[in-house]
Amino acid sequence: MTCLPIIDESACLAHGDCEALAPDVFRVDDVATVIGIGTAEQLIAIAQACPACAISVVDEATGEQVYP
Amino acid sequence: MTRPDADVLIAGGGLAAQRCCETLRRQGFGGRIVVLCEEPTAPYDRPPLSKAVLSDERERRTPTLKPAEWYAEHGVELLLGVAARELDPARRLLTLRERRGTGAAGRLRYRELVIATGSRPRRLPGLELGGVAHELRTHADALALRAALRERDGRLAVLGAGLVGMEVAAAARGLGREVTLIEAAATPLARALPPALGYWIARLHREHGVEVRLASSVERVSLRGSTARLELSDGSTVDADTVLVAAGTAPATEWLATSGLGPGAIPTDAAGRTAHPGVYAAGDAARFPDPYLGERVPSQHWEAAVRQGTAVARAIVGLAPAEPVPPMFWSDQHGHRIQLVGHAPPDCEIELDGNPTAGSGQFAAWITRAGRPIGALLVDRPDALQHARQWIAAAHAGHTAQPTTANHRNTPAGPGPSDTRRAA
Repeated sequence: MTCLPIIDESACLAHGDCEALAPDVFRVDDVATVIGIGTAEQLIAIAQACPACAISVVDEATGEQVYP
Repeated sequence: MTRPDADVLIAGGGLAAQRCCETLRRQGFGGRIVVLCEEPTAPYDRPPLSKAVLSDERERRTPTLKPAEWYAEHGVELLLGVAARELDPARRLLTLRERRGTGAAGRLRYRELVIATGSRPRRLPGLELGGVAHELRTHADALALRAALRERDGRLAVLGAGLVGMEVAAAARGLGREVTLIEAAATPLARALPPALGYWIARLHREHGVEVRLASSVERVSLRGSTARLELSDGSTVDADTVLVAAGTAPATEWLATSGLGPGAIPTDAAGRTAHPGVYAAGDAARFPDPYLGERVPSQHWEAAVRQGTAVARAIVGLAPAEPVPPMFWSDQHGHRIQLVGHAPPDCEIELDGNPTAGSGQFAAWITRAGRPIGALLVDRPDALQHARQWIAAAHAGHTAQPTTANHRNTPAGPGPSDTRRAA
């Protein structure tokens, strides 16, 4: 399943862990922005690593949220 | 005013200072920004100092927050090895001090001043630093502690079961050292967690081979060669060749003594303004209002430094602070991620989702007081944090949010008498 991450900008504090783990998916300046897509497994792991828990993951095709 | 030397002068070069600069430039502020960095380095991140820096021997670089070029690219002037010595708020003059000196080393006139001088580790009398005893605040401290942990093979004694002490205890166990964690209160993190939850953390450390001595203080220390003998309040002794003093921090605001601000953390409004016009405070040196508690509280957490540095920058450019969110801190110990969002006062009620005593140690503790959601302690439950924030914020806003997560797969069931198991 191809998935898209969604950033909660009020929670994102630009730790940068997401970009460090997947620089092809996330870019962190003042807040994180999404620049790519990934697999559910990959993106959920990154969402779990975010200390601020600012990342949700949705199915790219259906828009259904798969995490959290 | 005669032309100032800085439109925004930031005393202190840490996380709050860095985020203040970033927000100023992002909001189009074009004035001159000068940052006084007491340490001889650009602003850097402290959480790795008690985690990866200790456990990864190869990493010697300071975990700077931005690459060196960022400052020139954004017109931010860093004065390295320069600290604030005295403030004259009426004349908007800051007297400087060279890091290794005590005399004055020039003055800067500012339009706006941000007090972001952070905090310093509390020292315990009778324990000389260097040699056996360490503190952990700076990158240099972390490298020295790492060397001691790797080069010696005796016991590490950690004084203070706060976040820093516990993370170092965990890192040291990972390096194969024997560790004794000594805490004066009845449980770890006693000011942040009620005893039931604090005790779970003590048990986590014991399960990983840390000797945890609660309700114990150090009465006397003697040095025998390169070993310290600590005599505890119950008469027992602990011998250690490395001692970490991790007994909390105090705001670094003594330099403000003649200015009418302080002592202690500097009180501010929600935008970071202090009692003096043109003077703001952010980070460990500040005491912001906590809308969830209804009073000002100091915070030494990472998130607070970011939010407060950002709020001050917004105030300087004329924007209101962002909407408040429940405060949060996180800690990584023995491979577990612990997150506390909101508050967990001593008189709270706790509803558990998951089993803290099971081997995985994964659970969520939903915290209420008089029936109102006020906090959550999450252990390896990052999936629950967004929900916890909303649950607390909604209650604060005066609604009683039903913690429904029926639309989402793999989400926790909210607290409730009949539903305390995590959804499959």
